[in-house]
Amino acid sequence: MSESTVRYSPRGRTRAIKSFLCQFLGHGGAQAGLVCLVFFLVLAAAPNTLVGPLQTAINATGDFLVPPSGEHLLGTDEVGRDVLNLVVHGARISLTIALLATVISLVVGTSVGITAGYYGGRVDVWLMRLTDFFFVMPSFVLALVITPVVLEVMGRGGDILGFRPSLFVIIVVIGMTSWAFVARIVRSQTLSLKERTFVDRARVVGSSNIVIMVKHILPNLLPQIAANGALVVAGAIYVETSLSFLGLGDPLQPSWGTLLALAQRAGAASAGAWWDLGAPGVCVLTVSLSFVLIGNALDDTFNPRRRVIP
Amino acid sequence: MTLLMVAILNFILFRVIPGDPSSLLLGGARISVTPEQIEAQRQSWGLDRPMFPDQVVDYLSATMQGDLGYSFKFRGRRVADLILERLPATVALVGLAQVIAILCGVMLGLYAGWRRGGAIDHITTGTSLALYSTPAFWLGMLLVVIFSTALGWLPGYGAHSPGAVSGSLDWLLDYLRHLALPVAAVALGLIGQYVVVARAAMSDVVTEDYMVTARAKGLTNGQMLMRHAFRNAMLPVVTLIALNLGYVVAGAITVEAVFAWPGIGGLTVEALNARDYPVLQGIFLLLGASIVVANLVADLAYGLLDPRVRQ
Repeated sequence: MSESTVRYSPRGRTRAIKSFLCQFLGHGGAQAGLVCLVFFLVLAAAPNTLVGPLQTAINATGDFLVPPSGEHLLGTDEVGRDVLNLVVHGARISLTIALLATVISLVVGTSVGITAGYYGGRVDVWLMRLTDFFFVMPSFVLALVITPVVLEVMGRGGDILGFRPSLFVIIVVIGMTSWAFVARIVRSQTLSLKERTFVDRARVVGSSNIVIMVKHILPNLLPQIAANGALVVAGAIYVETSLSFLGLGDPLQPSWGTLLALAQRAGAASAGAWWDLGAPGVCVLTVSLSFVLIGNALDDTFNPRRRVIP
Repeated sequence: MTLLMVAILNFILFRVIPGDPSSLLLGGARISVTPEQIEAQRQSWGLDRPMFPDQVVDYLSATMQGDLGYSFKFRGRRVADLILERLPATVALVGLAQVIAILCGVMLGLYAGWRRGGAIDHITTGTSLALYSTPAFWLGMLLVVIFSTALGWLPGYGAHSPGAVSGSLDWLLDYLRHLALPVAAVALGLIGQYVVVARAAMSDVVTEDYMVTARAKGLTNGQMLMRHAFRNAMLPVVTLIALNLGYVVAGAITVEAVFAWPGIGGLTVEALNARDYPVLQGIFLLLGASIVVANLVADLAYGLLDPRVRQ
C-alpha cells in the first residue's frame, strides 16, 4: 500500500471508523465489557442521586453486619453502613484513581517510547535501560515503598485537586511506575514508523522533530496505545486495590480496596459476612475483567494477524 | 544494573523523609536535648559527612556486605535477621503455589490451545480470564469464608495451631493444613495467568508450517504434541514464569496479610503500619535481587529449551 494512492477523504475516514466499530463490537467480550463498564461509569457519575450521600459511622443506617435484606440490598458492614452505598461511592473513587493513573502512565510511556525510538542512539539506550528497570520491578512493589515515604513527606491532611493526599499520591505513583510496557510497544512501533516515506516527506518540508513526532508518528500509534491503555487500567485497578488493602488508602474516601481492608480488619471473613467482602471484590473483578476484555478486543481488531485470547 | 537502581532509590527515599535517625533515637523535640548531643549522634551515624559521595558509597558498601540497617519497630533488631527469619514461610508459600500453578496452569493452557474452540477451551479460558482479573487476596478472603468459616475444614489464620509442638509429624501436618488456603489463593491467581499465556503460545505454534509438515509426515497427534509443539510453546511460558516472580511475591504479600501468614508479606504489612522504613527497604532490596536472579534463571532455561540461543 503506497501512500501516494491513498487520498485523504472525510468519507473514507468515516467508513474506516464504521468498519472498525463493526469489527470491534463483533467481539462478544467487547460487548460484555462495554456494558459492564457503562454500568459502573453511571454508578461513578452519580453516586449521590443513586444511593444518597456516603455513609460514615455517624450517619450509618443499619445494624452491625446485617445480611442482605430488603432494606439493605447488600447488607451492612461492621459499623452499620449500607454496603451498597459504600460500593457505589467506591466505584467513583476506584475508577477515578485507575483512569487518572492510566492517563499519567500513557503520557509518560508514550513520550519515553517515541523519544527513544525516534532519536535512537544513546538516548534510546539510556531511556530503555530506565524502562527495563520499571519493566522488571512490579508497579505494586515500587508503589509499596514509595507511597508511605511520599505520604510522610506531604502529610495526610487537606486535599489536592479534590483528592485526599493519600489518593493523589497513589494515582501519581501508580502512573509513574506502570508505563514501561507502553513505552516498549510505542518504541518498537516508532522504530518502524520513522522509516516510512511520510516521515521523510515531513522532514523535507521542514517540520521539526517535535512536530514529526506529535503530528505524524503519534496518530499512527493511537491504536496500540488504546489497546494497551485498557490493560493498563486493569493493572492500575489491581495495584490500587492491593495498596488500599494494605492500609495505604484513605478511610474518608474509601475505594473498593479500602472497603476490603476494613472488612478484613473487622474480621468479616471469619464472621462469615460474605456480603461485606463479596460486594467490593465482585466490583473489582467485573471492572478489571471488562477492561481486559475490551483491551483484547481492541488489540484483536487493530492487528488482525495476531490471534488474541478471546 | 537493576539492583543498583533499587539501592539508589532506597538511598534517596530514605533521605527524603524528614528527621534523621539522631532525632528519632533521641526522642524527637519533646525532650530537651542539647545541640552538642545531637551533633555527637550525627557524627556517630556519619550524618555530618557530605551526602555525595561519602554517604552513598558507605551505604552501598554496607548493603553489599548484607548490612541492611536496623529496624525501628522491632527495637533495633537487624533488618537482615528479621527478613531471614520470615523468609522460609514465604518461600514455602510461593514455591508450593508456583509448582501447583505451573503444573495445572501450563498443562490446562497448552491443552486449551491444542484443542482450540473445544468445550474445555471455552471453560478454561473464561475461568482463567476471570481469575486473572481477580486480586489474589480477595480469592483468599473468599476461601476463608467458604472453607474455614462456613465448612470449618481448614484453618484460615496463622501458621500453627496454638500449643503445637515443633518437630513432630503432627506439627508438620498442622503446618500444611494452615498452608493449604494461602497456597490455594496464590496458586489460583497464577493459574489464570499461566493458562492465558500457555494457550496463546500453543495456538501460535499450532498454526506454524512445521506443524503442517509434521502432520504430512504422518505423525500422530501425541507425537506432534510432544516432539514439536510442546517445547516451542514452552518458550514464552518460561519467560513469563521467570519474569513473573516479582508479581508473585507482590501477590503473596497481600495474601499473607489475609491469612496472617508469618512471612515477608506479614512483615511488610507490620513495617508499613509502623512506618518502619529500614525494613521496607530491606524487603524492597530482597525483591529486586530475587527478580534479577529470576531473570538470569530465565536466560539459562531459555538456552536449555532453545538450541538457537545456545550458539
